[in-house]
Amino acid sequence: MASKFGLAGGIPERRVRPIWDAIDSRQFKNALKHSTSLLAKCPNSPYALALKSLILERMGKSDEALSVCLNAKDLLYKNDSLLMDDLTLSTLQIVFQRLDRLDLATGCYEYACSKFPSNLDLMMGLFNCYVREYSFVKQQQTAIKMYKLVGEERFLLWAVCSIQLQVFCGNGGEKLAMLAEGLLKKHVASHSLHEPEALIVYISILEQQARYGDALEILSGKLGSLLIIEVDKLRIQGKLLARSGDYATGADIYEKILELCPDDWECFLHYLGCLLEDGSSWSNGVHNDPINPQKSVDCKVSQLPDEVFHSRISTSLAFVKKLQADTSDDFIRCPYLAILEIERRKKLHGKGNDDDIVEALMLYFLKFGHLASFSSDVEAFLQVLTPDKKMEFLAKLMKTLDSPATVPTKALGQSITIFKIQELTGNLYKLPVLELESCAVQMVKMYCKSLPLSKDLDPQESMHGEELLSMVCNVLVQLFWRTRHLGYFIEAIMVLEFGLTIRRYIWQYKILLLHLYSHLGVISLAYEWYKSLDMKNILMETVSHHILPQMLVSPLWGDLNNLLKDYLKFMDDHFRESADLTFLAYRHRNYSKVIEFVQFKERLQRSNQYLVARVETSVLQLKQKADNIEEEEDVLKNLNSGVHFVELSNEIGSKTLTFNEDFHSRPWWTPTTEKNYLLGPFEGLSYCPKENLTKEREENVRRVVEKKSLLPRMIYLSIHSASASLKESVEENGSKSGSKISSELKFLLEHHAKMLGYSLSDAVEVVMGVSSGVKSFEAFGSDEIDWINFAVFLNAWNLNSHEPLQPDRDQCGRGIWHVVDTLLVKYISEKIKSMESLVCSPRVDLPILVQLVTEPLAWHGLVIQSCVRSSLPSGKKKKKGGSMDQHSSLVLNGVRDSIQSLCDILKEVAKWIRGQIDRPEDESVENILSSLRKKEQDEGPGRVFHVLESLIPSINEAEHGGRICQELKTWSALDVARKIVTGDSTLLSQFLNICESKIKSFQALKQQISSDIKCVLLNVFPLISRHFVPALGAAYDLELLPYLSATERVEWIVQALHRWTRSLP
Amino acid sequence: MVCIRKATMDDLLAMQACNLLCLPENYQMKYFFYHILSWPHLLHVAEDYNGRIVGYVLAKMEEESSECKGHITSLAVLRTHRKLGIATKLMTAAQTAMEQVFGAEYVSLHVRKSNRAAFNLYTETLGYKIHDVEAKYYADGEDAYDMRKQLKGKESHHHHHHHGGGCCSGDPRPMGARPESKSEAKAGTKAESKTG
Repeated sequence: MASKFGLAGGIPERRVRPIWDAIDSRQFKNALKHSTSLLAKCPNSPYALALKSLILERMGKSDEALSVCLNAKDLLYKNDSLLMDDLTLSTLQIVFQRLDRLDLATGCYEYACSKFPSNLDLMMGLFNCYVREYSFVKQQQTAIKMYKLVGEERFLLWAVCSIQLQVFCGNGGEKLAMLAEGLLKKHVASHSLHEPEALIVYISILEQQARYGDALEILSGKLGSLLIIEVDKLRIQGKLLARSGDYATGADIYEKILELCPDDWECFLHYLGCLLEDGSSWSNGVHNDPINPQKSVDCKVSQLPDEVFHSRISTSLAFVKKLQADTSDDFIRCPYLAILEIERRKKLHGKGNDDDIVEALMLYFLKFGHLASFSSDVEAFLQVLTPDKKMEFLAKLMKTLDSPATVPTKALGQSITIFKIQELTGNLYKLPVLELESCAVQMVKMYCKSLPLSKDLDPQESMHGEELLSMVCNVLVQLFWRTRHLGYFIEAIMVLEFGLTIRRYIWQYKILLLHLYSHLGVISLAYEWYKSLDMKNILMETVSHHILPQMLVSPLWGDLNNLLKDYLKFMDDHFRESADLTFLAYRHRNYSKVIEFVQFKERLQRSNQYLVARVETSVLQLKQKADNIEEEEDVLKNLNSGVHFVELSNEIGSKTLTFNEDFHSRPWWTPTTEKNYLLGPFEGLSYCPKENLTKEREENVRRVVEKKSLLPRMIYLSIHSASASLKESVEENGSKSGSKISSELKFLLEHHAKMLGYSLSDAVEVVMGVSSGVKSFEAFGSDEIDWINFAVFLNAWNLNSHEPLQPDRDQCGRGIWHVVDTLLVKYISEKIKSMESLVCSPRVDLPILVQLVTEPLAWHGLVIQSCVRSSLPSGKKKKKGGSMDQHSSLVLNGVRDSIQSLCDILKEVAKWIRGQIDRPEDESVENILSSLRKKEQDEGPGRVFHVLESLIPSINEAEHGGRICQELKTWSALDVARKIVTGDSTLLSQFLNICESKIKSFQALKQQISSDIKCVLLNVFPLISRHFVPALGAAYDLELLPYLSATERVEWIVQALHRWTRSLP
Repeated sequence: MVCIRKATMDDLLAMQACNLLCLPENYQMKYFFYHILSWPHLLHVAEDYNGRIVGYVLAKMEEESSECKGHITSLAVLRTHRKLGIATKLMTAAQTAMEQVFGAEYVSLHVRKSNRAAFNLYTETLGYKIHDVEAKYYADGEDAYDMRKQLKGKESHHHHHHHGGGCCSGDPRPMGARPESKSEAKAGTKAESKTG
């Protein structure tokens, strides 16, 4: 505080000012210089030390900063004569907080407050420390102390707020609400209340206890005048009345609000709720999710007797008609849409009929049909109609086209609305292929015709008829799904790329394109479009679902890493910094916001996506380093050997997860991250409106997290199991840790098998069956990667386990190496064969191929690396005079075979990729474009595209404006085709790099083994010779041990063997 | 149908999506929090019939000024809901709260010189006047009009909500280690604020 600045910690301000100035201008070296000279003068000043630690922290020297800061803290504690000033403390606080040591900062303030129990500044500082730590109880205690000290209303409210937080975000019970109420009541009696927010908190506490009557009494009393804006007060009143069951008075209040705000739809629904005595819209747990809002209002079928129901409905109708008459504003839709809602309620009560609804819809169309919001306005009302009535409504709409509106933009708006309603009712997609195609042609023609309307618009402004191209894309994708003709798919891409050439800001097109390119298998282009959306901040939480799932199974590791890193940084920064912001709300006395803010932080903390991103970041690191076991071990070490993730996997079932993704903007064919209808056969459905799949998603996310978070630990255990198996044969007493690893890995394997729906032994059976060809790959279902991972870890466990895999089958244990190799080789080659070139069909199998190579194959590679490292007497793992036993050589045989077959299959993959990349670009481009070249009258893809292409020559500045003309000059379908081909090559090259790096790593292992054969020879020969040809053994000992190098020894052995075989009879 | 109501914390998710869909720029989330935690009365959203947020206004009170003035930081309406008078309603709600809750004497805002639609809304519908031009106000180098509108000021019952400090701010920061914390909270104000 300014007054404190005078003499902080006994240091005059003029000495301190240059330091702060240097810090503020980020000249830390300079600041440090000043600080050093200050410390020379006052070496024992806690404040001077605190400043130094602040500078060190800013310079990135965290360890030094902490030690200096602790030093300052000790001095502060020791020297009681020094004043505990807030400036020193708050400087220490800043440093401790930045070092993630909130506890130390709190400790300082606690100490200071115990020394100076009546210093309000210090207490506020302490309160703030507790706010940062979310220690609600301690917050409450401190605030009460402050309140007792100075009797200010705000401190009482801080305490009440802290109590509320215990109720909402902690585990405080109902008694706490009573305590809060008691505190407030007492204060009101003696001092009344002076802040509107205080009143709101008071009322909400009463509401929590269902004391609506008391709350209403307070609101209508003197305190009610604190609420300055009349409707705010009325809204609270209406809610309290409804919740107390006084619907009649409630309805009156809502009438008043509607007269003041006739466009308040929510208020109208409450009004209707009151009239029909239906409290469902006020009950707790009402669906309130602004991200995925419900399409229609929940309401109960009214229990009112028919007579009463009718009279209430007529009351509402009369009131709404009056509202319509009273409002001259043409924009106000609520009183008109209200008629539809009333008709809907009538129908739900069994008293309405579809004809009335259709009529009301038509009236609404005539008034607002040209607005872009029309179809979303009426969506819920369409849903209550029978299919026949929907058709009837559509027919009536079509008829209006005979006499279109005179204003061109209005006529365009109405036509678009009719298309949208066709889409919404699903009628559009019921059309036969040819008609559907014609419909798309009609839409695109309308788009071309409407372009001149946008002639004078700013580039930022949305163009007239923009939605048409999105709808065209939807139709073309539908046609692709039905006919499997890729031309339609390419056409959809071209249409959107064309639209973006005219105006590059249309996010709807970008999102559609992103999904089209993803499905095509050219994820690199999808990512380009995603980047162009410029997602930042909280949007990463709500919007990154468009790209993240596809990136997780792509070879674009660098981009994926950025995506995950940016997202986690945003979330973690928010969790770190949000508490500081909470204090802003306390300071501005916005108590209800404090509670909302803490709840919001919890909502983000429980985000399912956050959890997934954390697990996937680790998995990505493991994938990236898998070719080098030492580097992989570093990654694992940083992950605490995967222990935390196993805990996460165990807890996930009981965790509350939040789903903040905004799925509204996803295209029809992939309404959630888990669904892509295009992967399956055409089902004759339109999927419009989109289904609500939240429940299904939740289960899926839990399953994925549960499974994925076991991975790091299983990899860790597999590496150790492999090495223990070989070490044990040498070091007899090293088996303790080996058996621990073995039992833990077995436990996780059982868990893994259970997640796949099997017992361990049954799962083993399935794996064996598929590998031997008895069972087909179908047995794995869509969990193929999980199954092959399972086989990999099973093999690793088996190496070090003394339990037979399947008691009734011998030999199969040894054969498990072979099983894993066979599975990988079979599966990978099958995928390569199934994939055609890009221009023939979308490469939907590419992500699976990438996963096979970068996951199970990579983990298996680590097991191999671990075996090689431990079994061979080279490098740091040299065995002292060790011998190769039967087990080890068996393992090494498996290793050698494995390396060979994995190398071969990787070479196959690389060959396939090169084949794709090396294809002449012009040929691929020509293939893409040829699927579109059609004459207009022809059936099949290309008709829509043809309309767009033939627009170009007719574009002129007079009609279309300079900007559109200019932009369209840059349009080239050829460039788009080329972009697709190049994008594909970029993606495949990255995959090729991954494969080549793996091939190299396997080849190096092979070489290591063959060079180590020498060493094996050196180890094995003396053993054999001593047993079977003692003379040879003795000669070996005498001649070689002291003198010769390893290479010379090997030569000696080979010659000796020759001599010996020649001497045999 | 479009209900103009005060924003809640949860609205942030939809508001930022709305921002993405409407504006070429995006501001930091901290900046949004700074507003809603300090002046929640001034933040309004337009909620459409189906509960979807289709527009919002973000506004604040000037803390470091002797005059009592409000500032509109950001205004956005979804393209699908343009030309329905939503922007006007949002602006009116924010201005009313500035006047009635804080007793603001006038309100200011910045608008891109090229944003004709917004400029027309402010001058013709809402009665703002050009006060000044700020060169290169936006991150991309575009100039801004500094616009102002007179409000009724303190004549209405300015409530007793603030004991100390200036007219519009809360009381002085109890934690005054350095003024730095404020400049951090406001980081990017100039470069990223916009109306349009």
